[in-house]
Amino acid sequence: MEIDELKDAWKNTVGGHGQQRENIMEMIQHDSSGPVAALKKAFRKQYRFIIIVALIVLNNLTHGFSEINFLFFFSYLIFCGLLSFFFYQNYRMIGRIEKMDGLIKTTVEQQITWLESRLKTHLAAVRIALLFFIALAEVLPYFQHGRMLDKWHALSPYLRVLVYVSVMALQYFISRGLSNRRFGRHLRHLKELVVQLQ
Amino acid sequence: MVHKAEMEKAFENDINEHRLLIHKVCSIYAFTRADRKDLFQEIVIQVWKAYPNFRGAAKISTWMYRVAINTAITALRRQKTFITSYEPAALPVNMIDGNVNDAEEEQRQQLQQAIGRLNEIEKAIVMLYMEDKTYPEMEDIIGISTGALRVKMSRIRAKLRELTKTFDNGNR
Repeated sequence: MEIDELKDAWKNTVGGHGQQRENIMEMIQHDSSGPVAALKKAFRKQYRFIIIVALIVLNNLTHGFSEINFLFFFSYLIFCGLLSFFFYQNYRMIGRIEKMDGLIKTTVEQQITWLESRLKTHLAAVRIALLFFIALAEVLPYFQHGRMLDKWHALSPYLRVLVYVSVMALQYFISRGLSNRRFGRHLRHLKELVVQLQ
Repeated sequence: MVHKAEMEKAFENDINEHRLLIHKVCSIYAFTRADRKDLFQEIVIQVWKAYPNFRGAAKISTWMYRVAINTAITALRRQKTFITSYEPAALPVNMIDGNVNDAEEEQRQQLQQAIGRLNEIEKAIVMLYMEDKTYPEMEDIIGISTGALRVKMSRIRAKLRELTKTFDNGNR
């Protein structure tokens, strides 16, 4: 059987499904249920974190801070600022990915590019954040929380470095696992589509 | 406010005018009634989201095909009963309900079975071909060059010929 012979059958096939009139305006009140919408929802949740951060900062400001924890407070403020910026970038990326009116090939390729670049940035950002906390843990006791000098800093520097390296390695696997869970399936599917489009 | 109401009206008209187009995409990518309904809704939502950006650079039907196919292949992956194989074990229960009484119905089922075995991009190409879209129009929707589309179409033809032959042999 040739495909051209099936054209009439195709036209009749779909006719039956279109008989019932859907309520279009009611439909657009619903949320999208695709993976991009799920990502958007997850990224929106990240904004809750920013609200908590803002409340903590506000609390610190109203209760005043001594010169001794000045370094800690501003390090924390810069860290939270960067994190908020990162969350905002995530949200913006989803806005771009959501666009479905481009050429099929372009849309799929762009989605892959954006998702992969986001994944790379995410992994790098988590690594930098961890390094920041390690540096803070090493420096902070000389300014504040001096009792840490008798405990953590009393350990051999080699042991501390070993722990830090282990934490970094663990972070690498956990971050990859979590990213794979969140984006992985969708990304793999998009890559299959690119192969089909070749 | 007036602008929004006008846009909603225009949107509703455009969707109603191209309802069959969306149903055809749904019938290619989803096979159970529930999945088709979900996909139809998802496409309508995506068309609504993209609607303010439609500038009329392409024909509205071309633009709507893009949104509908993009949505079907990339945006709805949560499906549990969307099928990619027509092996009996892979078929959703409510799909094996055909009382194949006449030749036309049998032909229709063969068509669905054969198309169901194609990959997602091939399905889009076949659908546009059966909709009598020209190669340049297909290029404007899919983004593959006319030459590459011709090559793909000839491979799809051979694949479908092979598949329908298998079905014919199976029925004997």
